[in-house]
Amino acid sequence: MKATSEHELVQRCRQGDEVAFRELVDQYKGLVFALIARSISNRERAEELSQDVFLKIHKGLPYFRGESRLSTWIYRIVINVLSQERRGLATVSLDQTGDDNRPRHEPGSEDRSFGDLVMKDRLQKAIERLPVPYQVLVNGHYLKGMRYEELAEALNMPMGTVKTHLHRAKRRLRLLLETELR
Amino acid sequence: MASMTRCDDLEPLLEAIADGSHALAVEDAAHVASCGVCAARLERARAIDSLLQVREVPAPPASFTAAVMRQIGREQWRAERAIDLGFNLAIAAGVAVIVAGAAGLAWSLGFLNITIDLDALRQALDTEATGRMLSQVQTIAMSAVLLTMALVLWWWAEAASD
Repeated sequence: MKATSEHELVQRCRQGDEVAFRELVDQYKGLVFALIARSISNRERAEELSQDVFLKIHKGLPYFRGESRLSTWIYRIVINVLSQERRGLATVSLDQTGDDNRPRHEPGSEDRSFGDLVMKDRLQKAIERLPVPYQVLVNGHYLKGMRYEELAEALNMPMGTVKTHLHRAKRRLRLLLETELR
Repeated sequence: MASMTRCDDLEPLLEAIADGSHALAVEDAAHVASCGVCAARLERARAIDSLLQVREVPAPPASFTAAVMRQIGREQWRAERAIDLGFNLAIAAGVAVIVAGAAGLAWSLGFLNITIDLDALRQALDTEATGRMLSQVQTIAMSAVLLTMALVLWWWAEAASD
């Protein structure tokens, strides 16, 4: 979305233009819902939380100063909502991989179920156990329309480190699958 | 021992190798080809990467926007109701005080014949005239304060509804 049209949309929303806010919801509902529903497997709850995000946006728009992109601000709200939902786990730092002292399972040839439905299910469970910033990174990175820089800004991480963090998140997923979720 | 070190060195790089952002060096490729542990790990990393790429994208229901707008309408209605309630209470309090003040004034001027004996109270004050004045000043001041509060609340309610 171009900066001017984004600015106009925000201005119209601030003036109480209901049509403008509807436009905003239509524009972002796909990404917001996908991000949340990929993190929380209960679809009804994901819907409630997504609606909650837009209520927060509606309430917060008068205070949105436009210092960051609208999308970045919206993703921050998504991260906060997901963190509140999973209070406690959200505080884990991205630099803390937490796997260094874990007993390692050395994968052998007996587990050849990768790629099937069981694996998909296990992967979903593993993603749900990731700290929220990692979750958002993994879920957001593979979504069409989600840009690296917006994700980095929303997660307060330098652009250059996004890929490194993404690799750490995937490594964490692999270790989870190799150990706890076997 | 040397082989385990190579496994450990390679392990943190597997995700980058799996998604193609890190090229496998010739000697590392040879190690992976001969090491069952590293080969299995790399296979897992590649499987995870492919699964993440083909994961379904959950779509919101068609009624999503309408549901959000309904919720917002409900929230606004609740907020307006609270403002209206506060405003009505303030007006009621203001009217009550004005009525009480008018009654007090009428009574002090002798238009109301109330048989309550307030002589003792009046005597407690220096003179009859001062007592009258004081009672009127207090009542009028209270009325003025409450009316101002009511007007401020009304102005705030109007500003919030805009």
